Amino acid sequence: MSYIRQTSNGVKLKLRIKDREYEVEIKKEEQDKFKIKIGQKEFLFREEEGEEKISFARASLPKRDFFKKELLSPIAGIISEIFVKEGEFVKKDQKVLILSAMKMENEIVSEFSGKVKEILVKKNQEVKEGDILIVL
Amino acid sequence: MKIKKYKVVSSTNLIAKKLRPEPWLIILAEKQTVGYGKKLSRWFSPKGGLYFSIVLPKSKIEDLQTLTILAAFIVAKTIRDYYPPPALRSQPTRPKKDILSFEPLIKLPNDVLLNGKKICGILTENIIGKEVKSSVIGIGLNTNIDKFPKELKNEATSLRIELGREVNNEKILKQIVEGIKQQLATISE
Repeated sequence: MSYIRQTSNGVKLKLRIKDREYEVEIKKEEQDKFKIKIGQKEFLFREEEGEEKISFARASLPKRDFFKKELLSPIAGIISEIFVKEGEFVKKDQKVLILSAMKMENEIVSEFSGKVKEILVKKNQEVKEGDILIVL
Repeated sequence: MKIKKYKVVSSTNLIAKKLRPEPWLIILAEKQTVGYGKKLSRWFSPKGGLYFSIVLPKSKIEDLQTLTILAAFIVAKTIRDYYPPPALRSQPTRPKKDILSFEPLIKLPNDVLLNGKKICGILTENIIGKEVKSSVIGIGLNTNIDKFPKELKNEATSLRIELGREVNNEKILKQIVEGIKQQLATISE
């Protein structure tokens, strides 16, 4: 059951999200300083301080973004062959593509294991150093 | 010099990449069934030619490109010093312009030409993860090849055709590898 209750210096909420209940308290500590309490965790920020607000926003970012793995182009060149498809599972050190660069053929192998989420390059495409080739 | 010899292979570079052995090991084959060059273009590799790959020590990618050019330079130098075509040897009075056409030339960075035709192809292949994991340089030198198929006749030649005699493949192999090592030592000093 959710509720919102006014307190002397803020509000108390009880929220139900999916199957979990959260007790949230927002209160003004002193002058422009605010405290948000979610369960046992406390977040402090000042009204005028952008940075504090950002750090709070970061804490609520979806977890999976931190685990996205990207294969980057080590040098500038041309993609001459792609060996994997989106949705395919690749192992660490598996050959994923060939990058022709500096008159050499460079086999790019995956640094991680994982499912290929996105292939951002096509055959014969020119790439620069640091370009994202494949997202796992 | 450690040499691993094969009668027939798909390609010496493929073998070298699969084995990932210690640096400077040589993979040598009498014949390749799928010899290839840049962009997987075919390299005519019948019995008689010299086909080998050198496993390179771990290096930075820029240095590997230099090594490829160095290998082409050494192949050209080996031909000129040890296997000069008759035109270079016996007619010192020929006009310089004429002699030049018989000098081995480097078509940067992958090919060596003799008498205006391709005599050697070089392909460096790297395996790269977070950094360069392994590198191999493949060299195909047309040594004792009597004749080429019709479609290659005008663009390819061999030492056998240019010199009119057979040469010793293993001796040339050693001359080239030693040449590369020496040159490498000189430039790294």
